[in-house]
Amino acid sequence: MEVQKEAQRIMTLSVWKMYHSRMQRGGLRLHRSLQLSLVMRSARELYLSAKVEAHEPEVPLPTGRSPDPRLHPPREAEAAAQAAPPDGEPPSPEPMDTQETPRAEETPSRCSPRPAKASRKRRSSSLSDSGDAGLVPSKKARLEEEEAEETPSEVPDRLQPPPAQAEGAFPNLARVLQRRFSGLLNCNPAAPPTAPPACEAKPACRPADSMLNVLVRAVVAF
Amino acid sequence: MIPGIGTLTQDTLWCFSQVKGTIEFGTTEADIISTVEFNHTGELLATGDKGGRVVIFQREQESKNQIHRRGEYNVYSTFQSHEPEFDYLKSLEIEEKINKIRWLPQQNAAYFLLSTNDKTVKLWKVSERDKRPEGYNLKDEEGRLRDPSTITTLRVPVLRPMDLMVEATPRRVFANAHTYHINSISVNSDYETYMSADDLRINLWNFEITNQSFNIVDIKPANMEELTEVITAAEFHPHHCNTFVYSSSKGTIRLCDMRASALCDRHTKFFEEPEDPSNRSFFSEIISSISDVKFSHSGRYIMTRDYLTVKVWDLNMENRPIETYQVHDYLRSKLCSLYENDCIFDKFECVWNGSDSVIMTGSYNNFFRMFDRNTKRDVTLEASRENSKPRAILKPRKVCVGGKRRKDEISVDSLDFSKKILHTAWHPSENIIAVAATNNLYIFQDKVN
Repeated sequence: MEVQKEAQRIMTLSVWKMYHSRMQRGGLRLHRSLQLSLVMRSARELYLSAKVEAHEPEVPLPTGRSPDPRLHPPREAEAAAQAAPPDGEPPSPEPMDTQETPRAEETPSRCSPRPAKASRKRRSSSLSDSGDAGLVPSKKARLEEEEAEETPSEVPDRLQPPPAQAEGAFPNLARVLQRRFSGLLNCNPAAPPTAPPACEAKPACRPADSMLNVLVRAVVAF
Repeated sequence: MIPGIGTLTQDTLWCFSQVKGTIEFGTTEADIISTVEFNHTGELLATGDKGGRVVIFQREQESKNQIHRRGEYNVYSTFQSHEPEFDYLKSLEIEEKINKIRWLPQQNAAYFLLSTNDKTVKLWKVSERDKRPEGYNLKDEEGRLRDPSTITTLRVPVLRPMDLMVEATPRRVFANAHTYHINSISVNSDYETYMSADDLRINLWNFEITNQSFNIVDIKPANMEELTEVITAAEFHPHHCNTFVYSSSKGTIRLCDMRASALCDRHTKFFEEPEDPSNRSFFSEIISSISDVKFSHSGRYIMTRDYLTVKVWDLNMENRPIETYQVHDYLRSKLCSLYENDCIFDKFECVWNGSDSVIMTGSYNNFFRMFDRNTKRDVTLEASRENSKPRAILKPRKVCVGGKRRKDEISVDSLDFSKKILHTAWHPSENIIAVAATNNLYIFQDKVN
């Protein structure tokens, strides 16, 4: 359980760092994005394996927890690639890294690769106010459709969804993060949920503060 | 090999020599030193900072009167190398921070150096002017044009001495060749070409040609989703102009020979150490990323720096390094916190001394470490204002890793992670080192007996 919590925390932290790195002077750093995505992948694997171990006595494992290993690097690299606007490439959807990370989370339990193009098309709906669906109604509808179709396939692979999740069937992580993040980032863009660099390294990782609890819930709800 | 120097025996004592930079708190970010480099003779020492400026120090001639005091470094030239730019097409700001400076060997009275930011490399000429022509016919002493009808005689202008002026002029600008961020530049031993490396590509340039470069390494996958590693550093062999190495974020080093093919995507040698399974952790992948690679002066060895160690590799042995030195292994259990405060992404550099017998690298709390390859001794020293009395001998520092802390030791939890020494330089032939501590440059020398 501790391991699971820790892995969740690291995942949330990584997502936050990826999001924050886009606002850095000099643009996204490819190396940094790659490193963040590697940590996120390790955290995710740890989280999933810890979760499976916790649920093991109750529900037998379906066909292998880890599907095609080729899916792992591409998804993580995709997150990295999406996070780092590939300079010189066709315009990369900037906000899509937060969209892509849930994709990366969800992939291990879905064997069908999700095309990146579908997520790119959602760019404008996430760019604008997340609550304002009127601009691109058809795209929002597709998003809901996908979530609906995800749900039945998710359940057997996920063994058992975490109980008491108010958000319904696996809401899109990015949307949740944007809702929760935007308040955090708009009011205090300079204040990361992590300690400032000047602080000494603590012997043990600190427990998540109240802001992070919100994010942790969001991460759990996928 | 330079005999007699550079052996870090018990007899070698390092003394404070000078410190450059301001003392006050609240450093502006622009003053943070981002690169340090001695030139080939050690007469000049260049620093680049985050504000895009280059400051060159020159060693003063040693005077016969002060035999105990070796030449000090004084400011020789300061200029703005790079300015912030904006890429309108991609809506990206390009930082003016100087990532690397590399000197060219001196071939005439002027000095040449390459400086680079994330996107553009520039060749600077630094020259002295101590004479000025006087006695023009068409203009007066203040430079105002004279009315030609008032000129009745002609004279030949003569050169008269003037106060020494050092001027830096950009002679070449090598731009628009890198899509990703430049991390290294390296001058080739042929003195005609150099290379610049970014995250995915390495380009070869001729100094005379700015509108073209050859792409010699390209590790960009066809599908960016398959990206698994990036280039982190690159350097030419010191003697063989066809050979270079580049390091990756996966902890590997590739040696390439440009005679083999135009595009050196297939390496000639591949250096990788198998991972120790007992050390495997959550952050294993990112701490194995190599932040710096340097050939020894002899060209026989390469040294690499990753987050926790420095390794020396023999070019003739690819499967493991011949030496591994722990820089700050006590941080291994703190990786989670270091990830939180972003310190785990710090890119430390490493340097050889002139005789390749001692290697040096930085750490936190303004500590830096030296390892003697022959005696296997190591020492930890600190760059701080407290030890800044002239010729004060630096006391070795020790980090207490657990148990009872002795009087002079510092505990891991007390280390200041905002004070990091990422950039250091070692004089090519003497025991003089330059250590960049945030916005201050410390110069230390060994004690002259």
